[in-house]
Amino acid sequence: MGVSLKKGGNVSLTKEAPTMKTAIAGLGWDMRVTDGSAFDLDASVFMVGADEKVISDASFIFFNNKTSPCGSVVHQGDNRTGEGAGDDETVALHFDKIPAEVQKLVFAVTIHEAEERKQNFGMVSNAYIRIVNADNNTEIARFDLSEDASTETAMNFGELYRHNAEWKFKAVGQGFAGGLSALAKQYGVNVD
Amino acid sequence: MSVSLSKGGNVSLAKADPTMTKILVGLGWDPRATDGQDFDLDASAFLLTSTGKVRGDNDFIFYNNLSDAAQSVVHTGDNRTGAGDGDDESLKVDLTKIPAEVDKIAFTVTIHDAEVRRQSFGQVGGAFIRLVNDATGVEVARYDLSEDASTETAMIFGELYRHNNEWKFRAVGQGYAGGLKDMCGLYGISAS
Repeated sequence: MGVSLKKGGNVSLTKEAPTMKTAIAGLGWDMRVTDGSAFDLDASVFMVGADEKVISDASFIFFNNKTSPCGSVVHQGDNRTGEGAGDDETVALHFDKIPAEVQKLVFAVTIHEAEERKQNFGMVSNAYIRIVNADNNTEIARFDLSEDASTETAMNFGELYRHNAEWKFKAVGQGFAGGLSALAKQYGVNVD
Repeated sequence: MSVSLSKGGNVSLAKADPTMTKILVGLGWDPRATDGQDFDLDASAFLLTSTGKVRGDNDFIFYNNLSDAAQSVVHTGDNRTGAGDGDDESLKVDLTKIPAEVDKIAFTVTIHDAEVRRQSFGQVGGAFIRLVNDATGVEVARYDLSEDASTETAMIFGELYRHNNEWKFRAVGQGYAGGLKDMCGLYGISAS
């Protein structure tokens, strides 16, 4: 039975879904129908250690670095307009391959060129990000970006983290100023 | 105290003014450089179901169709009354009369004969949409459209919409270079 989380809530995946092998972070939005630059939303994942920094630059998974070295996190590709029904971008997580030193996986969503295009989540229709247990297609958490992150351009959606030998997911839903590169710097990625 | 919205932002009307059931939606603008023909700007409203379309042509409220069948949205006509701090056109909304199947009301402004007269919103300044509690005369929310130079000739200023059983207002400020025709097409009106 799925648990649907509110912002700030957390759930033990080990308890709720003890046999879960794969989770998917799904990002979706509607294509722009009004005039102007397309809305290009991007999903990313930061694999961080105990120091809250990525364990390597290659552990920042995004549209230009789709697979983590360990193979545990796989980005399925960049969708630049939101075309297509359902999740427009997905990142798959394979639990049994996550390295021991990774303490947390941070899921983020950003708007590409938000500043230049003068866009925010509120301008996009039906934008959401969710985590799904891929083994049985149960949704664990969902955040309505258009409604609740309306004036933001980047967001820390949620975190998968180790706690007393189990995996938990916390719905964060907090906005972040400065876009993907600022978010990457915060997590210790060398951005150039 | 009026909530000042930025583009993409939204506000809960129940939270902003829990007593409000009758709303005066005021739209205003100051055409800037006039060089020849006057600007003829027209305010309209589209009553939309969950499909994002009108139920019928009667749900397109404009100067030639001043209200919907339920009288939930009434266009006050092309008159400049001078009252209400510079609203150039206004529509009255009665929240208690909006049909249950109407999920959203889009408030739009179009430039009449824009193509023929070669006019666009880039020439229009000081544009705003505001919500006033019609019973008390107090302004509840306001969105001042920033002067993005733009080639649009039809613009969605804002939307009144249902969300989790309450009415909210969102500042949109997005439009169409194709004018009223494109906008009607989007909303399912067979415009002629």
